[in-house]
Amino acid sequence: MGKPTGFLEHRRKNVAYREPEQRLQDFREIFTAPDASHLRNQAARCMDCGVPFCQADSGCPIDNLIPEWNDMVYQDRWRPALERLHKTNNFPEFTGRTCPAPCEGACVLGIIEPAVTIKNIENAIIDRGFEEGWVTPNIPKKPTGKTVAVVGSGPAGLTAADQLNLAGHTVTVYERTDRIGGLLMYGIPNMKLDKAVVDRRVGLLRDAGIKFVTNADVGNNVDAEQLRSEHDAVLLATGATLPRDLDVPGRQLDGVHFAMDFLTKNTASLLDSELADGNYIDAKDKRVIVIGGGDTGTDCIGTALRHGCKSMLNLELLDEPPADRAEDNPWPEWPLIMRTDYGHEESAARFGQDPRRYSVLSKEFVDDGRGRVKGLRIVDLEWTKVDGRWQMREIPGSDQVLEADLVLLAMGFLGPEAYLADALGLDRDASSNYRAKHGEFATSQAGVFAAGDCRRGQSLVVWGINEGRGAARAIDIYLTGSSTLPAPKIDMGVAAG
Amino acid sequence: MLSDREISEDRIPVSSLLACGAVHHHLVARAKRTRIGIVIETGEAREVHHHCLLVGYGADAINPYLAFEALWQARRDGMLEGTELTTDAAIVAAYRKGVAKGMLKVMAKMGISTLQSYKGAQIFEALGLGSDIIDRCFAGTASRLQGVNFAVLEEEASRRHKLAFAISAATNILALPNPGEFHWRSTGERHAWEPSTIADLQSAARENNQSAYDRFAARANTEARVGCTLRGLLRFKDDVEPAPLEEVQPAAEIVKHFCTGAMSFGSISAEAHEGLAVAMNRLGGKSNTGEGGEDPERFNPLPNGDSKRSAIKQIASGRFGVTIWYLANADELQIKISQGAKPGEGGELPGRKVDETIARIRYSTPGVGLISPPPHHDIYSIEDLAQLIHDLKNANPSARVSVKLVAEVGVGTVAAGVAKAHADHILISGDTGGTGASPLTSIKHAGMPWEIGIAETHQTLVMNDLRSRVILQTDGGMKTGRDVVIAAILGAEEMGFSTAPLIALGCIMMRKCHLNTCPVGIATQDPVLRKKFSGDPEHVVNYLFMVAEDARRIMAKLGVRSLDELIGRVDLLAPDAAIRHWKTDGLDLSPILSPVQKPHPGVEVRCTQRQDHGLEKALDNRLLELAEPALSNRERVVAELDIVNTNRTVGTILSHNLVKRWGADGLPVDSIHFKFNGSAGQSFGAFLARGITLELEGDSNDYVGKGLSGGRLIIYPPRESTFEAGDNIIIGNVALYGATSGRAFFRGRAAERFCVRNSGARAVVEGVGDHGCEYMTGGRVVILGPTGLNFAAGMSGGIAYVWDPEHVFADKCNLGTVDLDPVEQDEDIVELLDLLELHTQYTDSTVAAAVLDAWPEVAAQFVKVMPTDYKRVLAERKQHDEEMEGTVHELRTLDASVFVRR
Repeated sequence: MGKPTGFLEHRRKNVAYREPEQRLQDFREIFTAPDASHLRNQAARCMDCGVPFCQADSGCPIDNLIPEWNDMVYQDRWRPALERLHKTNNFPEFTGRTCPAPCEGACVLGIIEPAVTIKNIENAIIDRGFEEGWVTPNIPKKPTGKTVAVVGSGPAGLTAADQLNLAGHTVTVYERTDRIGGLLMYGIPNMKLDKAVVDRRVGLLRDAGIKFVTNADVGNNVDAEQLRSEHDAVLLATGATLPRDLDVPGRQLDGVHFAMDFLTKNTASLLDSELADGNYIDAKDKRVIVIGGGDTGTDCIGTALRHGCKSMLNLELLDEPPADRAEDNPWPEWPLIMRTDYGHEESAARFGQDPRRYSVLSKEFVDDGRGRVKGLRIVDLEWTKVDGRWQMREIPGSDQVLEADLVLLAMGFLGPEAYLADALGLDRDASSNYRAKHGEFATSQAGVFAAGDCRRGQSLVVWGINEGRGAARAIDIYLTGSSTLPAPKIDMGVAAG
Repeated sequence: MLSDREISEDRIPVSSLLACGAVHHHLVARAKRTRIGIVIETGEAREVHHHCLLVGYGADAINPYLAFEALWQARRDGMLEGTELTTDAAIVAAYRKGVAKGMLKVMAKMGISTLQSYKGAQIFEALGLGSDIIDRCFAGTASRLQGVNFAVLEEEASRRHKLAFAISAATNILALPNPGEFHWRSTGERHAWEPSTIADLQSAARENNQSAYDRFAARANTEARVGCTLRGLLRFKDDVEPAPLEEVQPAAEIVKHFCTGAMSFGSISAEAHEGLAVAMNRLGGKSNTGEGGEDPERFNPLPNGDSKRSAIKQIASGRFGVTIWYLANADELQIKISQGAKPGEGGELPGRKVDETIARIRYSTPGVGLISPPPHHDIYSIEDLAQLIHDLKNANPSARVSVKLVAEVGVGTVAAGVAKAHADHILISGDTGGTGASPLTSIKHAGMPWEIGIAETHQTLVMNDLRSRVILQTDGGMKTGRDVVIAAILGAEEMGFSTAPLIALGCIMMRKCHLNTCPVGIATQDPVLRKKFSGDPEHVVNYLFMVAEDARRIMAKLGVRSLDELIGRVDLLAPDAAIRHWKTDGLDLSPILSPVQKPHPGVEVRCTQRQDHGLEKALDNRLLELAEPALSNRERVVAELDIVNTNRTVGTILSHNLVKRWGADGLPVDSIHFKFNGSAGQSFGAFLARGITLELEGDSNDYVGKGLSGGRLIIYPPRESTFEAGDNIIIGNVALYGATSGRAFFRGRAAERFCVRNSGARAVVEGVGDHGCEYMTGGRVVILGPTGLNFAAGMSGGIAYVWDPEHVFADKCNLGTVDLDPVEQDEDIVELLDLLELHTQYTDSTVAAAVLDAWPEVAAQFVKVMPTDYKRVLAERKQHDEEMEGTVHELRTLDASVFVRR
């Protein structure tokens, strides 16, 4: 808060996306480059709160030092801002692009005005750092001689690898696909997170001494027990990759796909051949229905639009969220409000209307007679609150068949796949996740740790970073008896107290 | 020279303060200290408090090299661009100046004027240091609860050292950690208020949500336990017979024991201030005006039955807006001796928060910052305090008089004196509260926990059989039912809440109270931001009821049926052995938990009787009889009486009755005219209301016209006296202190501190002692004779005209805030001559007559003492009025008349 009255003088203004019609022509990132004075004004809006909720429980899960770096950006001190940012966040270029920004939901300014554009500022700091050449590999000072295998190269795995490497351990990351990055590589489409950005960071990690092995599916083509015996510790960071299915008649029909298959193949083909090899599910000229109103659903919309789909509909089971916070959803909780993401905006630009339809239950996929989907039978729902709990009721007579050639299921994920847990004999919790306590991250097998979505269930990139940092510290303590690695909610600086 | 420069990977420094204290005391013990100087070269000293401690424990000079180097680095990093600090030398000079100012402020709080007196004076109390450390390094310092030993300090030092020298890139030493000392940080040190407690409390208060309250209370109590408060180290005994919940006093009774803290209108917005008042009035508790006065409009109940009137009217050293009408509209009159979170300091209101309304209510100048003086100018001894208590009791016989003290070593003894001085109520204020506008040094380093203060006070009062005469209250970070129960057990009948109710109204601990930028419309006067206020009195009501219910449940478990029964029951508490922290092992909580020693079995341990204020002996009882025609029927009353110096506070009960009957404006001037003959006692004409004239042929003791509220005072020597009136003192010290309106004419000289904090009275006197017109913010003073030193110190409003034929005045005037101008303008001359004529007429002053005779030749011998701020504001107002072509002026006049009619 270089400026105590900044919030009274400047209104919130996000860094703009490229124009929808323009960005729909390609798979390049949707963002435009912000100019420095814009960011300076936005940073001036930070109030330097006595109690900054942006880094509290409902705010940033990795204690990002938001008031500090906002102030530094306001003062035009970008390099110290980057040092502050990297102190708590290994990969700001990932969160700066993809994070839903719980910090902004908790921002104190949000009580009276739209929150500070924290995420934009974070992203600008790291982009500036790369531009200026300030981001360099973190090469450890003293090797410990200990070895750690990290299974999975998503946000949690990469974070833990980075931290463990810093602590001097020899780290090898095993990835079952052909490219490093996990969800960052194949889960999030290129327009939201350019794969060159992922590769750039992986390159830095490689230069810092981390080894990467691709096409290595531990528990499948790599023996899990052997891996365990060859390393002093193993960290599982395999993600929550088992999608929630829609068990209704017609599910087996051609043209019904999981969102992740659709997105993964698209990115692979894009990177391999600019979509020339045809190894992807093409939405061109198809009537597309995306079931599920989350981020993955949005990504499907954006991808299908770029293919040139004929129509777009996005169905959501729940009721339409309110425009402003409901009474039972007060600040600083995450605001459950209507948000229009890039995919919705693009769909509206192309077809003239928002693609979303709420309170809809899918009942059946309709066969065109040749084993292909030609429609989706739905029924409208009515949601009512009974004893504080929402209950749904089908509205009689509201049955309807929606025409569709391609239906994408983006209804979330159930948990990790079973084979690795089975191979290692791991305990799993009621939600099928690898059982391990946050803060300890130790599984039921000695020397085997778990972090990220495979432990906590589907979540955010920033939670992956949280768990990766925490698990690295836990593993460091396991290997050496103590640790100087920082982790969320643990700061070395005040340990003396 | 003691240095920690040689710190290295294998050398850990000893704390510079320990080293300084140890060497100092060693040399003192060997009677060699005066032969040598101690120079401290340390990387530790950064803040004002560090320098204060080092000097307080004997350092003669300090080289805070790391502070310098850090600032030099900041300049090289471009952090000081745009400032005048363009060289390293300039940085050193600025830092030294800042520290010196801060230390001066600290010394002023302690009543110390010179560094020499402060050096080695060790005016500190330790909390949590064991006797081995105290004896070796800080001999003579009080550390009542004992605490850590050298081994713990060694462990701390080595932990810090390890952090600095840990060989790991992972610690990213490029960016040092933020320990969250001043602002909360998720990985920093603990604060009593943190995000989840704030969010849950707001949820609980707004939605009357019990589960949110339960989360809040659990978290607040746990935070307290793991290291924020002394009460956190205590547990309730569980081997007691519980009582059925329905037999415990209902919550509606418990909330009547609750008050809100003294936060002034000015420091917080009208919306917040009135919200607290409405809430407390709904509950039957008490809200507090704070020291900024209160808009008389608020004394009238609202149509819906609510009231914005604060039951507690505070009387602080600034005496802002303390009129007889203000005092008459109170249930409690609270004398603020000190503030828990910043003992020794007065309130501070930055100029940007002093808008027209606040200035009107405080009788001060808009745009001019207000700093309350550390002392009350009418209290220099316990007898003076007794006098003020008596004055206030006279000003409102139905209100109880409270004295606010702070928890510190010896507060029990002070409280015993206060009880003997006839206070009805004593507040022991703890260290944890405090506005965000307080200086950081005070927020972090001043005050003591209320647990120690209330326990000591209760014990001392019982031991001296004074407890039964006073009600005890405590405050400082109260949050939950658990806090309430512990406060009662340690001796408090009543509990004060400040921050928590503000949070219920929307405060989010921005800690920008001094900047006027509070985004939720609480600690601001900015009209745009005030619109953001979203609190409702019901939120406070909800919250305090939940606290009371929480307390009830605990009382039931303890088998206690009312708060009164709980008082002094330390047998229900024990140190919580389950709380193990490597630093708490050495603490000894027995001073808090010792059962109280009764001098004899019949001694009561809570308030059961009223103080005897002796009002039935007041001369005012006779005055009331005489004034009856005026009080009942507005008939003019004139009478003549004898007076002697045991007649104290004459005219004050009369004034109370007059405003009770006729309202703020009283009666037309001179409706009641009493002529006295003799020597008047203290506080003659204190808080005298409009419509009353007290004429005294004789002389008077101290505090004449204290708080003058529109009345008229005329004092002259006996007609038959032969001495030269203008050369002799006729009234004592501190006359017209805190006067807000009215007129006073003294034929003769006043002693010291004349018209201090006058904010509206017009007075003529024929000479004054030292400190005349100090901190004055309004009114007119004519001085027809010599003045003492330090005239007009801190004066920010009003005008003084001083007759200075010998041209000696300029040397005696404190020119920090005033200009000395000639008396040339017509309006000045008219005003001056008018007062001189009245003075001659009322007192037969020969001095005034001579001046009038010699006018206009003597005009050049008058000096107009004009505060620079006041001059600026008048000029701005004039310009503004001219721009508005008079319309504003008319409006203002209209406004004023409406205001007066009220």
